[in-house]
Amino acid sequence: MKYFNNPDRLVSLLWQLWQGLGVTMSLFGFTLLFSLPLGLALALLRMSRHKALRLPVQLFILVMRGTPLILQVFTVYFVLPMIFGAAFERLTAVVIAFVMNYAAYFAEIYRGGVQAVPVGQREAAHVLGFTRSQAFMRIILPQVIKRIVLPVSNEVITLVKDTALVTAVGMVELYRVARNAASTVGSLEPLFIAGAVYLLINAVVSFLFNRVNRYFSYYQG
Amino acid sequence: MKRCLTLILAMVMLSSLFLSATAQEDTSLKDILDNGKLILGLDASFPPMGFVDADTGEIVGFDIDLAREVCARLGVELVTQPIDWAAKEMELNAHHIDCIWNGMTITPDRLENMSISLPYLRNDQVLVTRTEDGYGNLSDLAGKKLGIQAGSSANDALDAAEDFKASLGEVVPFDENLTALMDLNQGGLDMVLVDVIVANYYMAVNDYPFTVLDESLAPEEYGIGFRRGDTALCNKVNELLLDMREDGTLAKISEEWFGKDITIIGEAE
Amino acid sequence: MLQAENITKRYADNKVLRGVSLRVDRGEVVAVIGPSGSGKSTLLRCLIDLERVDGGRIMVGGETLVDSQAGGYAGKAALRRVILKMGFVFQSFNLFPHLTVLRNVTEAQERVLKRSKREARERAIEVLDKVGLSDKASEYPYMLSGGQQQRVAIARALAMDPQMLCFDEPTSALDPLLTMEVLRVIKGLAEEDRTMLVVTHEMAFAREVADRVVFMKEGTVRCEGTPEEVFDHPEVRAFSSQAPKP
Repeated sequence: MKYFNNPDRLVSLLWQLWQGLGVTMSLFGFTLLFSLPLGLALALLRMSRHKALRLPVQLFILVMRGTPLILQVFTVYFVLPMIFGAAFERLTAVVIAFVMNYAAYFAEIYRGGVQAVPVGQREAAHVLGFTRSQAFMRIILPQVIKRIVLPVSNEVITLVKDTALVTAVGMVELYRVARNAASTVGSLEPLFIAGAVYLLINAVVSFLFNRVNRYFSYYQG
Repeated sequence: MKRCLTLILAMVMLSSLFLSATAQEDTSLKDILDNGKLILGLDASFPPMGFVDADTGEIVGFDIDLAREVCARLGVELVTQPIDWAAKEMELNAHHIDCIWNGMTITPDRLENMSISLPYLRNDQVLVTRTEDGYGNLSDLAGKKLGIQAGSSANDALDAAEDFKASLGEVVPFDENLTALMDLNQGGLDMVLVDVIVANYYMAVNDYPFTVLDESLAPEEYGIGFRRGDTALCNKVNELLLDMREDGTLAKISEEWFGKDITIIGEAE
Repeated sequence: MLQAENITKRYADNKVLRGVSLRVDRGEVVAVIGPSGSGKSTLLRCLIDLERVDGGRIMVGGETLVDSQAGGYAGKAALRRVILKMGFVFQSFNLFPHLTVLRNVTEAQERVLKRSKREARERAIEVLDKVGLSDKASEYPYMLSGGQQQRVAIARALAMDPQMLCFDEPTSALDPLLTMEVLRVIKGLAEEDRTMLVVTHEMAFAREVADRVVFMKEGTVRCEGTPEEVFDHPEVRAFSSQAPKP
């Protein structure tokens, strides 16, 4: 056991894991921050009556959900600079790729949620004189949020694990730190410690989502 | 996953070769000096060439010390940049790194795609076995199980030794050298084909009861990789390495890491 | 108050409304009865722009909703004015589940009529009182029985102070006991001299409360007149004899 009787080394590893975790968390945070609203915008466009708005978005969603995330990361990080000249910083590039990818997934979740709201709700809003946007913001969207809590939480947990992908463009996040440490000390302990950290993160995420879910149970239907 | 990565990267790389700029004036050395730094790309999980010190968390290694010395003589800062090994040419061509300096084996393919420095270290692909099995030479290993790191130059060495490869019972790929050696220790394998330098490192760190066979497969050499057109930079680094050989710095660094001078700069083929 | 002339509407090959005309005068209570598929619900929904007609003219309170021979449908602003002249109660209530009973009744007042919070609240309590549910103001719809929910829906429509009330089979989704409490409320409103248009299956109720009855079948009006006149009509008698006695 390489760390058991070597507390200084363990502390050093934990500090490195902490820094790697910082990378993981900032990727996680930025992705959610941008992809949740972007997904809503995409969902609205996807449901638009105008073909000119609807079709490009449909295509975008198809491509983003139908190709591997790792390929999208490579494209943004390696290919786009070749075409456009400017190079992206690693974190920027992966955030862009992740945001586009997750926005597409969230868009479909939003759309499913909106379509699951009974048509009677829209009709009631109509006869009471609400405008379309008023009806959407005050009547439809609040009901959508309750419906999508579970699918969204699934995506968020997937996101936590997807962050390990960025090791392919050389970003040193949690998993990579563990792998390097394992190579140095010649044992797999660091990987297990990192696994525990992932588990902890996901436990926190699950707990938070359960709270959110319970909050929305203040009404049924 | 690694195979899939390599495939995807191969496709991307191919397209990059078509898109990269045509011949221009070689400002590679000037650019480095102007920028004041040399960005070294490495996979920091390759002890003792380039790896993360378990106690300090810093990136250290034989290659790092060499590079630091070269940079000091150039008057620039050394910046280490972890990369994914499979993507190394891409990172280089995209100008995210200036050189690949991480125990990189010189192969005909790589010579075509990059400018490579003078060989600075000889490496052997050796067979590591459990001491208790008492294997002596290649013929003892017929019909046995061999472990190997996927995507590494060990595979090229194995392919070159056709007869030996054909005599084997099974070839098992691993993502990491470490896990291959761990499996050898457990009895899941009979031998591991790996860089002698890596073998020695892990045998020391883990006190493995292993023996390295005398008979090695194809010997290879380590070199430093630069962008194809960066000959000015490459030549300058060669010059500095030769200087370091002359004044004994090279030998000193080698002794620190390996106990003796095993560098081969400037030796005749 | 309301005038619909020669309304036609098709769903693909199905001619749901084949030239229906209907008139509701101020203060009148008109009941529309007929078998399923006769188009009576569709007609009602067309009057409040929940469905679009293919042809015909609809005028509400002097303002044109649609005139197929003179410009088609009115613009957005005019549409809203027309919609706000009418209150609509659905067969399936359609209360907003994420809002309390009180908020259900105040929301549209505040957002659409731009009333102040206090004004809306006062009016809401008034109408909830009228339907007998002011004690449920802070409950959520799912906690109420069907009959209670429908009464809240009626209150919600009343709070907007419409000139006319439309009911689309208001008791069809309720069991007999709950039906009674809702019918009682509707009857109370009728006695207040309100203008009302009720599509219903409840024959006895229609006979008792309506000033005029319209009988529809297969997309046309077969007969209309006072309850006595209509319920004596041979076609209507044939139809009502099939219906279960109350």
